[in-house]
Amino acid sequence: MATQIVMDRTGDTRHNFDAKNADALLRAEERFRELTGAGFTAAVRTASGEAVVKRTFDPNAEETLFFPRLVGG
Amino acid sequence: MFRQLLRNAKERLRLFLSECGRRARVLRDSLRRQPNRIDPSSRFFQGFRCGYWEREARGLQLLKEWLSPEELAQYDAKSYFEVTGCHSGKRYRISHGTSMNIHELDGGGQPCVGWCFAPTGYLVAGDVMLSQKIALETNERGALAVANKFSVPTGRRNMHLHY
Repeated sequence: MATQIVMDRTGDTRHNFDAKNADALLRAEERFRELTGAGFTAAVRTASGEAVVKRTFDPNAEETLFFPRLVGG
Repeated sequence: MFRQLLRNAKERLRLFLSECGRRARVLRDSLRRQPNRIDPSSRFFQGFRCGYWEREARGLQLLKEWLSPEELAQYDAKSYFEVTGCHSGKRYRISHGTSMNIHELDGGGQPCVGWCFAPTGYLVAGDVMLSQKIALETNERGALAVANKFSVPTGRRNMHLHY
């Protein structure tokens, strides 16, 4: 089961999907495009725990984290 | 035991004050955008009361899942963790909080300058700190380009900053 984690005012919202299911994968890819299009940054963790930013949808990513656009505080 | 209780109370007070500050900024920004339409009664304050600690806990849980074991140990012990900028190799200290909580460290590991940037919208402290960590580790220049810089008082450069 793969997960897309979207940071929001509740802490986060998690979207779980079966990466082997074509329809679920399509919806996940669509969500990825919508969020990144809205300014969210998508990041995944490598096996060593290092964070890597993803510009395109990775169907093999087990966990993708989305955080909103950064601004100066 | 008394010291533990005191520590817990201090932590809760710090979280509460940090949240108050962020809420105040959100309200201020709302007033600036729509001065005649702001309704400070229901949703804004209800949202503050309901589930605050749950949201904070969720954010901290997510942060802890993404920290390395070293960063996690440092955060648990000192309420901050240090990361390395991907472009400059400089070290940054991210303290618990949602704003003005990033300090660039000098060669001796002391804070020399502060940086302030955060994700848009209302996010809990754990989410903000995790976003800051990933941004510095994957796109340091981009993060600092939008950040506001602030100076660290000279007297505080030689002490560990706890928030």
